[in-house]
Amino acid sequence: MRAGNARFSREAAQRPILVFEDVFKSYREGTPVLRGMNLVIERGEFVFVTGPSGSGKSTVLRLLYRGETVDDGRILFLGRDVARLREDAIPFLRRNLGIVFQDFKLVPSWSAYENVAVALEVLGLPQRLIRARVGEALERVGLAGRGEDAAGVLSGGEQQRVAIARAIVGEPALILADEPTGNLDPQLGIDVLGLFEEIHENGTTVLFATHDRTLLEVRPRRVVVLDEGKAIDVPNGIATEEFDNSLPH
Amino acid sequence: MISVSTTRRAHRGMVREWRLHALSIFSLAVAFVCLGSALLVVTNLRAVEERWAHAGRASVYLKEGATQDDVDALRAALTRVPGVNAVHYVSSGEARVEFGQRELDSNSVLAALPVEAFPASIELDVAPDMPDADLADMVGKMKALPSVDDVETYQSWTERLARLVRGGVAASALLAVVVLAAVLAVVGSTMRLALQRRRIEVEVLKLVGATDGFVKKPFVIEGSLQGALGAAGAIALLAVLFLLVRGRLDGELAALIGVEPTFLPWPVALGMVALGALLGATAALASLRKMVAI
Repeated sequence: MRAGNARFSREAAQRPILVFEDVFKSYREGTPVLRGMNLVIERGEFVFVTGPSGSGKSTVLRLLYRGETVDDGRILFLGRDVARLREDAIPFLRRNLGIVFQDFKLVPSWSAYENVAVALEVLGLPQRLIRARVGEALERVGLAGRGEDAAGVLSGGEQQRVAIARAIVGEPALILADEPTGNLDPQLGIDVLGLFEEIHENGTTVLFATHDRTLLEVRPRRVVVLDEGKAIDVPNGIATEEFDNSLPH
Repeated sequence: MISVSTTRRAHRGMVREWRLHALSIFSLAVAFVCLGSALLVVTNLRAVEERWAHAGRASVYLKEGATQDDVDALRAALTRVPGVNAVHYVSSGEARVEFGQRELDSNSVLAALPVEAFPASIELDVAPDMPDADLADMVGKMKALPSVDDVETYQSWTERLARLVRGGVAASALLAVVVLAAVLAVVGSTMRLALQRRRIEVEVLKLVGATDGFVKKPFVIEGSLQGALGAAGAIALLAVLFLLVRGRLDGELAALIGVEPTFLPWPVALGMVALGALLGATAALASLRKMVAI
């Protein structure tokens, strides 16, 4: 991870970026959300995580950024067990992740620039560098020149673009998107998906949780279906016979 | 280390929530006015105590039948006592005139008292470093003289004043505890309210990898500023009130107590501001302890 004295290791670079090993999680006794979930995601992949409401899509992401802790099992991110991280190491985990939410999670009274810059300010970068990188990030999401606008007055699509700019400005190893198109109309949703694909084309791994089947149909990508607490892998997307065969009947 | 980002976030927080912070600063100022007033009273009582502790004077009141020879003999004897710098005889008439001049404007009834009401006295200028035992010894010997009615060294008055100052110090200490509790409560409540209003900000900071320290620093700065501004406001208010009161009562008060009223010394005023800042920061830290777990 970015913090600490980690050295470059060829072996580490070849390891999967993310591994879920027998992960169990329940919020109430007797009703587990994840029941021995296993999943491996390689570097540079774009993976949809889908499933019905309550299937555990958001839980998977929350476990990853340590918004929750696993009951059992391991989650290895860049070779380190996220579940066993000490509390004071969690900020350093999150600095290696870019997280985008359905409700944007922007500070409405802050400007678009400030909302993006905060991801670099926590790293203690100099203001000059922050200005340059935030400018680039806003340009990448199509908001060049809108930095001074208060986030609260932007449209839903624009707010989600700001959130995406915030997620990518730190050049994280992995982007987690939790229903990022859930509050947007279908066309805007597809535009936002296009943004994530552009980010992915630059080599960033993307984990995109959605229950919107139209998005899955638009692009033939690897899909992980969460069903009854386990992950069902559909490598070539849902518009295939393979997907239909993978679902439980 | 406090970064530009931290101070900017603290400034932004205070500007955007200025009503909340202004209310908090006002409440703190009220609490500090109580403490400042007590300290002001104690400061001046101390000055009076010091003034009278080293008054360096004593009055030897003579009996009505004391003759001029008795007075002369007594004066000559007192002049030779080590530690007595000067001896001055005040007759009944002079005492009456002196009292009349002082009280004529304010109380004509007192000024109209007969001459007999004012005993003649010998006023002594005693060296400030004269030991209490020597003074007591001299007083004892003088009281035994047939022409002496009484001797007043103002010692008992000074002791009463010292007790009053001790009481004032104790009351100030108690007030300081009350102010401490008030500051902790006010700043704590303000911080919790500010935090509630800025919950999304804290959430965002935590999600992008801010450490607890990074999240807390602006709130601690805000709390500290609130405390310092509250204390400074209280001192400013007290200073204005002090100037107003002194302007009206200065002459009378100085004549009555023998010293010019003084405002809080700079170190005490600065100490109050520092105390406010420290308490504000502590209260903010205490109220933020649990909030950053996201």
